[in-house]
Amino acid sequence: MKKLALAVSLALAAGVAHAQTINIAGFGAKTGPVRSFGVNSHAALLAAADVINKAGGVKLADGSKAKMAVEFYDDRCDAAEGISVIRRIAGTNALVAVGPTCSNVAEPLFGILQKKVGDAGDSGLQFPVFTDVAIKVGLAKISEWAFRNVPNEMTMYNSLFYWLHTQHPEMKTVYAGVEEDFAHSRATWYIVMKPRAEASGFNVLGNTKWLLADTNFATQVREMKKANADIVAISAHPFSTCGVLKEMQRQGVKPKLLVGLTSSSSLETLQGCAKQAEGIIIPTSFAPINKEAVAAAQTTAKFKGAADLHSMAAWENMFILKNVMESEGISGKPGDLQADRRKVRDGLAKLKTTKGLMGVTKRDAEREADKPYLFVHAKKGEWKVLYNPL
Amino acid sequence: MDFYFGLAQLIGVHTLLGLSAYIVLLTGQVSLAQAGFFAVGAYTAGMLTVLAGWHLVPALGVSAMSGAAVACAVGFPALRVKGLMLVIATLAFGEGVRLFFFNFDYQVAKGGITVGPLGGEGFRQIRFFPENGWETGEVMLFIWAFVVAAMALLWWFDRSRYGTVLRAVGEDELAAQSVGVNLTAVKVSAMTVGGAIAGVGGGLYAHYTTHIEHASFNILLATFAIAYPIVGGLRSVFGTLLAVIFVQGFLVEGLRFLGDWRNLLFGALIVLAMNLRPSGILGRRRHA
Amino acid sequence: MLDFFQTLSDGVLFGATYALIGIGFTLVFGVMHKINMAYAAASVGGAYAGLLVLKVMAGAPPWLVFLGAFVAGGLLGWMVYVACFHFIPLSSPLATLMSTVGMLLLIDEVIVHVTDGMPQGYPAMFDDVMLRAGEFSMRGDLLLIFGVSVLAMIGLLLLLYRTSLGLATRAVSQQPVAAQLCGIRLVRVNALTFVVTGLLGGLAGALIGASVGTLSPLLTVPLTVKGLIVTVIGGLGSIPGAIVAGLLVGGFENVLQLYRGVTERDLYVMLLLFVFLVFRPGGIFAARSGRD
Repeated sequence: MKKLALAVSLALAAGVAHAQTINIAGFGAKTGPVRSFGVNSHAALLAAADVINKAGGVKLADGSKAKMAVEFYDDRCDAAEGISVIRRIAGTNALVAVGPTCSNVAEPLFGILQKKVGDAGDSGLQFPVFTDVAIKVGLAKISEWAFRNVPNEMTMYNSLFYWLHTQHPEMKTVYAGVEEDFAHSRATWYIVMKPRAEASGFNVLGNTKWLLADTNFATQVREMKKANADIVAISAHPFSTCGVLKEMQRQGVKPKLLVGLTSSSSLETLQGCAKQAEGIIIPTSFAPINKEAVAAAQTTAKFKGAADLHSMAAWENMFILKNVMESEGISGKPGDLQADRRKVRDGLAKLKTTKGLMGVTKRDAEREADKPYLFVHAKKGEWKVLYNPL
Repeated sequence: MDFYFGLAQLIGVHTLLGLSAYIVLLTGQVSLAQAGFFAVGAYTAGMLTVLAGWHLVPALGVSAMSGAAVACAVGFPALRVKGLMLVIATLAFGEGVRLFFFNFDYQVAKGGITVGPLGGEGFRQIRFFPENGWETGEVMLFIWAFVVAAMALLWWFDRSRYGTVLRAVGEDELAAQSVGVNLTAVKVSAMTVGGAIAGVGGGLYAHYTTHIEHASFNILLATFAIAYPIVGGLRSVFGTLLAVIFVQGFLVEGLRFLGDWRNLLFGALIVLAMNLRPSGILGRRRHA
Repeated sequence: MLDFFQTLSDGVLFGATYALIGIGFTLVFGVMHKINMAYAAASVGGAYAGLLVLKVMAGAPPWLVFLGAFVAGGLLGWMVYVACFHFIPLSSPLATLMSTVGMLLLIDEVIVHVTDGMPQGYPAMFDDVMLRAGEFSMRGDLLLIFGVSVLAMIGLLLLLYRTSLGLATRAVSQQPVAAQLCGIRLVRVNALTFVVTGLLGGLAGALIGASVGTLSPLLTVPLTVKGLIVTVIGGLGSIPGAIVAGLLVGGFENVLQLYRGVTERDLYVMLLLFVFLVFRPGGIFAARSGRD
């Protein structure tokens, strides 16, 4: 009897050892105007997992290899649902979550995480979140369990305005159009673009405002026309960006240069108004300009997603997580779940640099990334590289 | 387990929202303004705990009072409009409240950073629960204490003369008036009680999400508020509770395994539910 | 001063889009006495369906796309009727209200799923036509929309007052039982009126898409709110009222945006609504008083 029990348990243990998977949760918006972001991120996560698994998988502390499995949850770009989702994820055996898509979800979500690691008086959730898309400035510092791999808009726009100033010394003035009711676009103009433009020697004449779902931009474009600036910056998402650009065409407002918002450098803007968006310059952290980037884009396409700065951040996250898990020596055993999560968090916190598709990404003490970037512009319905500082 | 506690918190808060619409619906008024009272309660409670350092319980008391006060102020002009016009008027009011908070800035410096509502950016870091070490389960029980209290109150109303009077006004105003019921008092009082309940719900919402902004209190939330009593049926408060569990528990969370189809089914199942049970899950009250 | 007139003109012209969607709303709410919260969503859905014409015929002219939207709108109108009004008894207005909300959510989701939420460029007619008089300019395409609104109004008034379907519709809305006793087939009339308003809705959706230039699921809810406001201000059931109210709301909101900024703009539109509700609840053209 004892021998049988021993044999069975050995067999079971062996079986368990072979069937090891490391679960990564993805989450983001699969509903509403931002659905494409969720779809692309999900595809990128699956694609990266596929590549990692084909190469053997993740090496665990005991030397065995485990496959990476991805499950994606839809948070519908809603704060309360995002919180529900992260709690649900924390209740599974996922080690880390990659997401969310929307900045208005990220902020409250980071708010329910434990603020400082090891603070026994803080009952916040102890679960690492590694963001791929939500880009509003300064969110990761809300909690020590929050990490982001999103481009640093401060650095990018600083560099962009500086470059524009050196390339076009005859251009002196900037005027902006701002989407006032969306956290990201609003913050990016007032906190990032405006001061960076001024720092590079431009005279910011002012800005006009509209709302995310607005459809009539006549007044705003008239103000733009009056300001008659050399450069017009549009800090808005594709729908209203297209609306403004079409109105500008109608009223014959043709600034010498157009600058756009990071997240509008995706397919959506081109889908909505490729003709009017011709020439708009946007700094971005992804373009398929090297072998690795092209391969990532192709693999993601196999999983029915498009590669852009957002989804490729998710792709990068998977590889970063694999490295962190291996260097921290996670065990992958059910009993060590919380310890493994803590190891992932600590590992991410230790990173000073990570390898990205565009080059080396620096990481700072506030758990944000400083990604290599380049400038693209819309040309004939496609995003083409305008200037690559790398 | 944490997830289920969190879901229970969400269901609890939405039940309060639904109950606030329920009592108003009993008097025959379809009010899309409950999300507005909810917002008032949320910002009030948040400001009191974050800016003034109050404990959550008195803050919620003030939320209830402010919700009630605003609702009372809405109740009087609401008397002048009926039917569809009331729906639109209350919708416009709710939107007005949202737009007010969109423009509302009140920042105070605390410990080196500024805190408080900041217009379009919202009101962040409402961390009363985590800062005071409340576990998810404890927050859930706290929220449900209020839900149970609200349900008990409304249940008691239903068993008392007040409830009969409310429903009488809802069934036939003219007949109710002809037996001496004071329409103004009944309708405004129902609106006020609804406002108080919504205020408490909002205060709790602000604290369990830790971050509120104007967009959290949009038309969709207002629609959910009346959806719960309509889908649940006006027979009793349990209808509203069942509807919240159906929508938030089943449609939103339970159908997650369907992936993308979940969202498509959401609208479709509501249409189906209304076709199959037009009087709601628990149905309408049948007179003896 | 020129600023003010230009802004007013811009706003009033854009109000033509509100007028167009408002006509359908006021018909549905005021003449048929049905609360159809899914009307604007079905209209936008019709507009999206119009884009299918471009998929089938790559270089199709805009008017063909609009025709596609027109037809699709009628179809969607019929579907809303079946899903929300055919089976649910008339004595349950709350149930019909909620089911139209469900339809609104469903149509929105279908749009998001099919397009992945991405904005779709929409073909337009006369969108580059600007009538200028010195510094002053007016959008040609919005004038077209205004023209269509007026034509729609004439067409609908003719339909309501000169055809048997119109007579039947008015009869049913006033006294459904008596109408049936006169041999009017309730189901046919209701279904047909939903189809007619749906046709108009599809066209409205297409023209609005053309004037905005892009279609997005973001359009549905704001359009629903505007439609409701315009219906109330214009007077429930009054088609000329809907047009005037649409232009009024358009002009008012744009002028207030000029002076008070975009974040406060919608607040003032709500206040305008409240002013009307308090002082003139019947709307601009209070409908002829009939039986309640």
